Amino acid sequence: MSLGSFLMRKTAIAVATMVAVSFLIFLALEVNIEEVAVKVLGQYSTAEQRAAWLTQNGYDDPFLIRYLRWLMNFVTGDWGQSTYFRAPVMEMILPRLAASAVLAGGALLVIVVFGLSLGVLAGMRPGSLLDRVISVISVVTTSIPDFASAVFLSGIFVFWLGLLPGASTMISGFSLRELILPVSVLGLYSMGYLARVTRASMVDVMGTHYVRTARLKGASLSRIVLRHALRNALITPVTVIMLQLPWLLSGVIVVEVFYAYKGFGTLLYDAALNQDIYLIEACAMISVLVVVVSQILSDLIYGWLNPRIDLGAKA
Amino acid sequence: MDEFKTLSGTPLHPQAKALQQRFATGGIDRRGFLRGMAWLGVAVGAAGAAPGLLHAQETPKSGGRLRFACQIQEITDPMMATWIESSNLFRNCLEFLTFVDENNITHPYLAKSWTASDDLTVWDFDLDERATWSNGDAFLPEDVIFNIERWIAPDSQSSNKSAFEAITKVEKTGDHAVRITLSRPVASLPEQLYSHTCAIAHRGFAGNWAENPVGTGPFSLVNHEVGRQAIFRKREDYWGQPAYLDELQYIDLGADITTHLAALSSGQVDVLYRATIAEYDLMQSLPNIQILTGKAAHTLAIRMQVDQAPFDDIRVRKAVQLAADNAQMLAIAYRGEGDLGANYHVSQVQADYAPVEAIGRDVAAAKALLAEAGYPDGLDLELTLGNTQGKWEQDTAQVLQQNLAEAGIRLKLNVLPASQYWPIWDKVPFGVTYWAHRPLGTMTLDLAYRSGGAWNESHYANPAFDAALNKAMALVDPEQRRAAMTEVETILRDDAVLVQPYWPNRFSAAAPNVRGFVLHPSDFFRMDGVWLA
Repeated sequence: MSLGSFLMRKTAIAVATMVAVSFLIFLALEVNIEEVAVKVLGQYSTAEQRAAWLTQNGYDDPFLIRYLRWLMNFVTGDWGQSTYFRAPVMEMILPRLAASAVLAGGALLVIVVFGLSLGVLAGMRPGSLLDRVISVISVVTTSIPDFASAVFLSGIFVFWLGLLPGASTMISGFSLRELILPVSVLGLYSMGYLARVTRASMVDVMGTHYVRTARLKGASLSRIVLRHALRNALITPVTVIMLQLPWLLSGVIVVEVFYAYKGFGTLLYDAALNQDIYLIEACAMISVLVVVVSQILSDLIYGWLNPRIDLGAKA
Repeated sequence: MDEFKTLSGTPLHPQAKALQQRFATGGIDRRGFLRGMAWLGVAVGAAGAAPGLLHAQETPKSGGRLRFACQIQEITDPMMATWIESSNLFRNCLEFLTFVDENNITHPYLAKSWTASDDLTVWDFDLDERATWSNGDAFLPEDVIFNIERWIAPDSQSSNKSAFEAITKVEKTGDHAVRITLSRPVASLPEQLYSHTCAIAHRGFAGNWAENPVGTGPFSLVNHEVGRQAIFRKREDYWGQPAYLDELQYIDLGADITTHLAALSSGQVDVLYRATIAEYDLMQSLPNIQILTGKAAHTLAIRMQVDQAPFDDIRVRKAVQLAADNAQMLAIAYRGEGDLGANYHVSQVQADYAPVEAIGRDVAAAKALLAEAGYPDGLDLELTLGNTQGKWEQDTAQVLQQNLAEAGIRLKLNVLPASQYWPIWDKVPFGVTYWAHRPLGTMTLDLAYRSGGAWNESHYANPAFDAALNKAMALVDPEQRRAAMTEVETILRDDAVLVQPYWPNRFSAAAPNVRGFVLHPSDFFRMDGVWLA
């Protein structure tokens, strides 16, 4: 299958997924129009005010008509008004997504650089002291959930040593110091997991015939690793990395909330807590979009890493 | 005693003279005397140093920016502020007719003086003619009339509607004078005018204050983003004593107080809005902060809706009260840092408190009452709560759950996020609601338990209680008022409307260089007297 056909097929699947999810989101949040009116106008609104608002905003129409209109509005960028933040949803989400992308970028850098390096180093010489030390570090960092490591790291670097800021609001603009702790928490958690996966993959590849042949030909270890083993050993770790993307962009609620980082995760949390209906809908749609796009990206990267993988094969 | 004069220069109110005599003979204490005199428009000056006031004796220094960790909520309509946090944002720009300090003494503010008729039903307020709005308009009686008429309008959704339901008329009596006429005597009217929903908006207020932030206050709003920050800048053209700080920045750090303390410890903020018992140990371990503590009449009202089954049977309500162990709830959920409650929602720190005896715990009696009410095998109840002030609310409910289990009441806890609790706080049959401090017990009882009150979440309605409350509210003399409160508190206790386990101590913290910050018992934080050393 050509790249163009592959992309078309994947895009069609992504669109179908988005439409199906959008229907479920709309069904869950807007099937009861009385609740919608209360959430938008507040608990102190009168029944007359709610009835007038519902009529004015087309809520007297059948459910399917309302859904199609909402979907069309979403596609054209009209995401409604946040009832809690009192601002257009579109204007709320984009800067928050950008903030989360900065955090995700930093975390991904830590995860990829340290996770892959440690995994490769450990997998090059299985059973060595270095392998064992790295394995222990990996197991420890993976075993500690992010909310616990956030507390530990704050306890050490904020309260005890006083070296780092305790909140990461970025209220006065971008601050690298404020990024260190949330990036470290996210990085530590996933880095260990990636290192373990990379190590296992590396050990497999180092045992293959072509690596043995390269050794017999007298190639140095660094040449064997960099020229022959690494690319094939990366396929599984890349899957792990790509799975981190949607989590880093839209799922790091705990870390963002703990450090008061005003990213997409905090926005989703605030939207859910305050029953901000239009913001929840938009956040949910963006989260799904991030997942489907990252899946397409990971398929493309597989193909680049290993041209033998058929892009058209059914997963 | 002859040096006392009214703020308006008019002769002393007859009840002020009586108060003087009672004080001279030792019949009332100094604080009760000053409070009563202030209500009657007598100049009482500063009430003395207060606990929680940071280094007020130093010479203040102007300039600088103070960062305040606080939830940033919408600031749309001052009379609809349901959270103290949002009212504190208003407080920088909007002012009140009166000001009640941390000792609960009432002082002039936008009203420079007031006098009451002998029967306390006609109140004349003289407005400060120096006051101006930030848009250049003069502050006029029309502003006051506009606000009060909004509060008590038939379609008003503000809690002011209940609090000021005695107001029958508000009228202009001069270029800077307003008269408020009441249907019944309310001695504490000047004090009530400093409630958090009583900020005076401009007469042209159109419904969304943040869109056109006109105020008479010492700061002007520069920026406001819900959930993020609010910035206020000092007004150089302020009509009164200018603020010391150049800028105030309120920063939303989310709900986790540990993050607030981390930010304070690392110098990212200067003052915290509030801390709880859960953070007390951490606060004590931090060398670079000042811990503020105090007592206040704030509490958890574990109230039952008296018109909802099974709480429409007083025997069930009494059984719940008898099975609850208030002392254990205080000891476990708040580590003993507070004072015991006695299920009638008036605190010892409130001036009108009457020491009505609490009914002791009696599990056997609770079981007997349940059996009599038709529940010999116990019953299932659901208690809804929102941890609106912290996890200690849930801890309290869990202790109550264990207490009630001993009497055969199987209590299920429905724990919601705070923001989901507030929309239903007055709808659930059995709920845990945080009630903020009010200077007088009558102010809380008037809002929460008067028949048909806007915030009457228990749906309690008892004409005898209302009448007793009216009587107490009409008295200026602290001792007479206290005596009247005995009846009020006894009725509420015996009608078993709520379990009110304890009055938790208050905690907060500030950076070492913060001066003049007063831990007001109502959390009403005026920032014009705060400065940075």
